[in-house]
Amino acid sequence: MNTQWHLPGELIERYTTGHLEPVQVMSVESHLMGCARCREAVPYEREWLADGWERIEEVVDRPRPRVVARVLRRCGVPEHVAVFLAATPALARGWLVAVTATVVCAVAVAHLVDSAGAARTVHPLLFFLAVAPVLPLAGIALAYGPHVDPVHETQAATPMAGSRSLLLRALAVLVCAIALTGLATPLLPGPPGLAAAWLLPSLALTATTLALATRVAPPVSAAVLVAAWFGAVAAGGELTGDRLALFSPAAQILYGAATVLLIPLVYLRRARFDPGEPRWNRPSASRN
Amino acid sequence: MEPTVSVSELTKRFGRRTVLDGPTLRFGPGVTGLLGPNGAGKTTLLRILATTLAPDGGRVRALGLDPADRAQRTELRRRLGYLPQDPGFYPHFTVFELTEYVAILKELNDRRERHREVRRVLAEVDLTDRARTRVRGLSGGMRQRLALAQALLGDPGLLVLDEPTVGLDPEQRMRFRALVSRLGESRTVLLSTHQTEDVAALCERVVVMRGGRAVFEGTPAGLAATAAGRVWSSDRSPAASEVFWRTADGRYRTLGARPPGAVPAEPGVEDGYLLLLGGGSGDTGAAA
Repeated sequence: MNTQWHLPGELIERYTTGHLEPVQVMSVESHLMGCARCREAVPYEREWLADGWERIEEVVDRPRPRVVARVLRRCGVPEHVAVFLAATPALARGWLVAVTATVVCAVAVAHLVDSAGAARTVHPLLFFLAVAPVLPLAGIALAYGPHVDPVHETQAATPMAGSRSLLLRALAVLVCAIALTGLATPLLPGPPGLAAAWLLPSLALTATTLALATRVAPPVSAAVLVAAWFGAVAAGGELTGDRLALFSPAAQILYGAATVLLIPLVYLRRARFDPGEPRWNRPSASRN
Repeated sequence: MEPTVSVSELTKRFGRRTVLDGPTLRFGPGVTGLLGPNGAGKTTLLRILATTLAPDGGRVRALGLDPADRAQRTELRRRLGYLPQDPGFYPHFTVFELTEYVAILKELNDRRERHREVRRVLAEVDLTDRARTRVRGLSGGMRQRLALAQALLGDPGLLVLDEPTVGLDPEQRMRFRALVSRLGESRTVLLSTHQTEDVAALCERVVVMRGGRAVFEGTPAGLAATAAGRVWSSDRSPAASEVFWRTADGRYRTLGARPPGAVPAEPGVEDGYLLLLGGGSGDTGAAA
C-alpha cells in the first residue's frame, strides 16, 4: 500500500456524508484499514462507536433467557426480577414437574374414587383438598436458605439478602402453585365451590410457614406444618364425622382470618430472615 | 492511615464453642492477610465483615457504616465484594448467567449496564472466552476465578476474600496475586489464607489469629522479624523434640532453641507464623 498518499479532504467529506459510489467506498475503506493518519482524519463520535459495539456484543453475547424468565416476562414481571426468579431453586424444572405430577395425580384419584363408587368411605375430593394447600410449602422450603440454595452465602452478602429474596421467591412459588392447582380445579368432580376449598388453607399455611420461618429455617417450618396439616385433616374427619370438616365454610373463615393476621406479622418480623441481623436488634433480646 | 474497617471486642459463639474471643482490629486500604490454623476464627471474622453472620457482641464499622443497623447494612452490601470460603454455584448455569444473577442480587437492574459490568468482571479474571460455558464444565481454578468475578461486580470498595487461592495451580496463583495486588491499590482487600507465601507476596499487612484472638498485627516483615534469633540452620538432624525440617539444600532448618552446631538463618514470614502458633517452644514435639 502506498503510505505516502493520503485521502484528500474532499474525498473524506464525500465518504463521511455518504456521497461515494460503492466501489469508491471500498477503496477508501481499504486505505483506512492500513493508514492510521487517515483514520484519525475521518471524524466519528467515539461514544456512538462504543455504543454500537456494545449493541453488537449484546446481540452476540447475551444469553437466551431461561424458560421461566421468558414466561414471567410475558406476564409483565420486570426483566431483572424475572431473571432473579428463574434462578430460584424451587422454580426449577424438577419442582414444577413434581407439582404438576402431584396435581394430575390428585385429580386422577378424585375421578377414580368418584367412578369406583367408593365415595361412601372416602370423599372424592379429600386427597386433592388435602394435598393442594401444601404444594406452595414445599416450594418455599426449597426457595431460600443455606441448605437448599448453593449460592446462599454469596447472596447473603448482597442487598437482596434476607426478606427481599425470601418473600419474592415465596410469592412466586405461591402464585405458581396456585396457578397450577387452579387450572386443575375445574377438572375435579363435585361442586366448584368445594373443589376450590384448598385456596384459603393454602394461603393460611403459606403465611404460617413464613411466620414460623422467622424463628426456624424455612424447610423446618414447612415440614412441621405439612405434618400438622395432614394430621389435622385426618383428625378432623375422625372427631367430627365429617371427612371434609377442615374445608367447611366456618373453617374457611378461620383460614382467611389467619392469613390476614399473619401477613403483617411476617412483614414486621422480616428482619429475622436476614442472617446479618444481630440478636440485640430483635425485640425479644436485650443488647449485650 | 484512616481505617476503612474496624472491629472492636468482637465475640461470636457457636453453641459452647467460642470462635471469636474479642479481637480488636483495624484495616486500611491495601491488602491485609489473615493467617491462622483451622478454627482460629478467620472465616467467622470475614463472614461478620461480609454481613452474612451477626456477631454476639462487639462493634464493627466498615466503609463508615455500622452493619448492625439495617439500612447501613444494606448500604454496606452495595459496596462490598465477598468471595466465600465455599462459593456455591448453579452448575447448569453458564458463566455469564451466574455472574448476571449475582449482578441482579447487587441491584444492577438495568440490563445493558448489567451486561456491561458482567463482561468487565469476566475480562478482569480472564473468563471472557468461557462466558457461554456451563459452570459444571469449569475446572476448580476457573470456578474460583468465577467466584472472584462475582465479588468484583459493582466495583466494591471493600473486598472480603476467604481462602481465595484454594484450588489454584501455581500459574493461576501468580495471576491471582497480580490481580489482587492491583485491586488493593484502590480499595481495602481482606483475605484469609493458609499460605504464608501469599501473605509474603501480596499483603501489606498481616493479622495472625489463634483461638479467636489476634496474636499478631503488623507487616509481613514484622512477622518475620518476630522470629529473629530463633531460626537456625544446621547440617545435622536436630533432636526430635525440636521443630525442624530439611530444606532443598539438604540442611536442617530449626525453630526455637539453637541446636548444637547450628548457625543463625534469615527468618521468613512462615518462621514467624509457626513460632507464634507455638512451634519451637518444645511442646509441639514433631518434625514439621
